[in-house]
Amino acid sequence: MTRWLALAVAVLFVASLLTGAAGLGVPEPLILWQIRLPRTALALLVGGGLGLSGAVLQGALRNPLADPGLLGIGGCAALGAVVAFYWGLAAVFAPALPLAGLLGAALGCAFLLAFAGRATSGPSLILAGVAASALAAAMLALALTLAPNPFALAEITFWLMGGLEDRTLTHLLLAAGPIVLGCGVLLALGRGLDGLALGEDVAASLGVPVRRTLRLAAAGVALAVGAGAAVAGGIGFVGLVVPHLLRPGVGQRPGALLTPSLLGGAALLLAADLLARVAPLLLPLQQEPRLGVLTALLGAPFLVRIARQVAPGGAG
Amino acid sequence: MIRALAVALLLVVTAPQPAGAARVVSLNLCADDYLLLLAPEQAVAVSVLAADPALSVVAAAARRVVAVRADAEAVLALRPDLVLAGPYGAQTTLALLERRGMRVERLGLPQDFPAIAAETRWVATLLGEPARGAALLADMQARLDAVPWRRPQPAVFLGARGYVAGPGSLADAVLRAAGLVNSGRAGQPGLEALAAHPPDLLVTATAPDYPSMATDLLRHPALAGIPRREVAPALLVCGGPWTARAVTVLAR
Repeated sequence: MTRWLALAVAVLFVASLLTGAAGLGVPEPLILWQIRLPRTALALLVGGGLGLSGAVLQGALRNPLADPGLLGIGGCAALGAVVAFYWGLAAVFAPALPLAGLLGAALGCAFLLAFAGRATSGPSLILAGVAASALAAAMLALALTLAPNPFALAEITFWLMGGLEDRTLTHLLLAAGPIVLGCGVLLALGRGLDGLALGEDVAASLGVPVRRTLRLAAAGVALAVGAGAAVAGGIGFVGLVVPHLLRPGVGQRPGALLTPSLLGGAALLLAADLLARVAPLLLPLQQEPRLGVLTALLGAPFLVRIARQVAPGGAG
Repeated sequence: MIRALAVALLLVVTAPQPAGAARVVSLNLCADDYLLLLAPEQAVAVSVLAADPALSVVAAAARRVVAVRADAEAVLALRPDLVLAGPYGAQTTLALLERRGMRVERLGLPQDFPAIAAETRWVATLLGEPARGAALLADMQARLDAVPWRRPQPAVFLGARGYVAGPGSLADAVLRAAGLVNSGRAGQPGLEALAAHPPDLLVTATAPDYPSMATDLLRHPALAGIPRREVAPALLVCGGPWTARAVTVLAR
C-alpha cells in the first residue's frame, strides 16, 4: 500500500514538473526552477501535511469527521497569515508569514482542545469546529477589509479558496521547515494513537501518556497546517477525504494510517493541482480553477457520505 | 502691476463660494477626479478614495474637501444640488437619493481616448465649466500628438493577480497611443506563459504602498528578465484626460 502510494506521489511529482501553460515536456530552466518546482514541492508538502493531520486528528479525537479544515484550524492559520501579510509584518520580516500561520493554527487547536475537553468523539467537537471556522472566515474577511488595501474583496477570495499558482522559492523555503518538522512530530505518535483508539482511560492504563500525546498532536497539526495555510490559503477536505479513502486498505488501527495518509494527501493535492493546470489547456477557460474549489468539489460529497454513516447523535 | 494681478488672482481663487453656485457631491473615485479638476469650488464632498495618491489624480485637492461614504443619510445632510456617481455600486443609495428628488448623474467608464473626450465634454457641461473641459482636452491631445513614431514594439500590460489587458480596455488604448503593439490576450495567462514567450516590454501599474498578494506576483523572479515600464496606477484606474500622461511615460 505504502509502496504504491509512494510511487503515485513520485509519478505525480514528475508529471507536475512537466506540465504547465508553457506546454508539456521539460521547460527551460527558468520556468522549471522558479515556477514549476516551488508549486510542485508546495503541493507535495501542503498536501502531505493536511493528509497526515487529518489522520492524526481522526485518531486522537476518535471522530471520523475530524479534519483541519472542518475544525477551523486551517481558517485560523489563514487568518494569522493575513494579519501578518497585509499589515506589512511579513515585508519587514519574511518568516513572520509562516510564524503567524503557525500561531493562528495553534490558537485554533488550543480552542478545540479546551472546548471539547474529553468529549471529543461526539458531535459537539464538530460544532465547535464549525463555529471556529465560521469565526475565522469572518475575521479573515474583516481583517482584509480593515487592511490598508482598497482591493480587499479580490484578496479575500484568494484566501478563502486557496491556491498554489505562481509561488516563489522563498515561499517554499519559508513553509518547508515547519511542515517537515510537524510531520515528523505527528509520524512519531503512532503508538499513542493506537492506545487512544481504545478510549482515554484504557490508553492511560496501558501506559500511554494521554495528555502528552494530545498536546503533541495539536503542536504537530499546528506546524503542518499553519505553515501550509500561510502560503496556500484555505484548502479544505484533503485531511478529511484521504484517511477515509485509505482506511479500507490498512485496517482500523490509527497508527498504521499515518504514513499512507501523508503520502495520500501529497498525491491528492499534487493531482488536484495538476488538474487545475491542465483544465485551461483542455477546456476554454480564461484562467485556472482555484485549487480549494477543486478539493471542495471532491470533498463535499464525501462529507455527506460520512455524515450519513455516522449515527445521529452517536459517537460514530 | 504684476503683484496686483497676482493678488487679484489669489482673491478670485480663494474667494468664498458665491451664492447660488452648485453644491456637488461625488461618491465615486472617477467622478472625484473629474469634479476636482473641472470645478473644485463646487465640490462639497468627495469619496474616501480621492485622497489616496496611489489611486487618485487629485489627492492633494481632495484633502481640502470633506470625505463621504456612499451613505444616503450623510449625503442628504450635505444638501447637494448634484450627486456624481459611477455606473456600478451604491445603486440602492442612489435610488433612495433620487426618490428624495435629488439629481444624480452616473459617469461612464471611458476605455479609449475618443470616449474620454466625450465624457470630459459632458461632465464639463454638467458642471457649467466647458472652457476648463476644453483646456484639459487640449493638453491631452497635445500629449497624444507628441508621441514620436518608431518601429512598433510588442508589449503586454500586466495587472494585479496577473491579469493581462486585452483589446477594448483602457490599458490597451494607452499602449496603442504610445506606439506599442498590445501582444497580450485578455485574461490570466499565468506567469509560465509569460516567461515562455516574453514580450519586448512589460507594462505594470501597481501601487507599492500596501502589501498585496495580487501585486506580489509582479515581483516574481521569473519575470525579472523582461524589460519593464511602471506607470502610476492613478492614471489608469479611471479613464480621463490625465490618462494621456501614462502615454507620455511609455512613449519616452
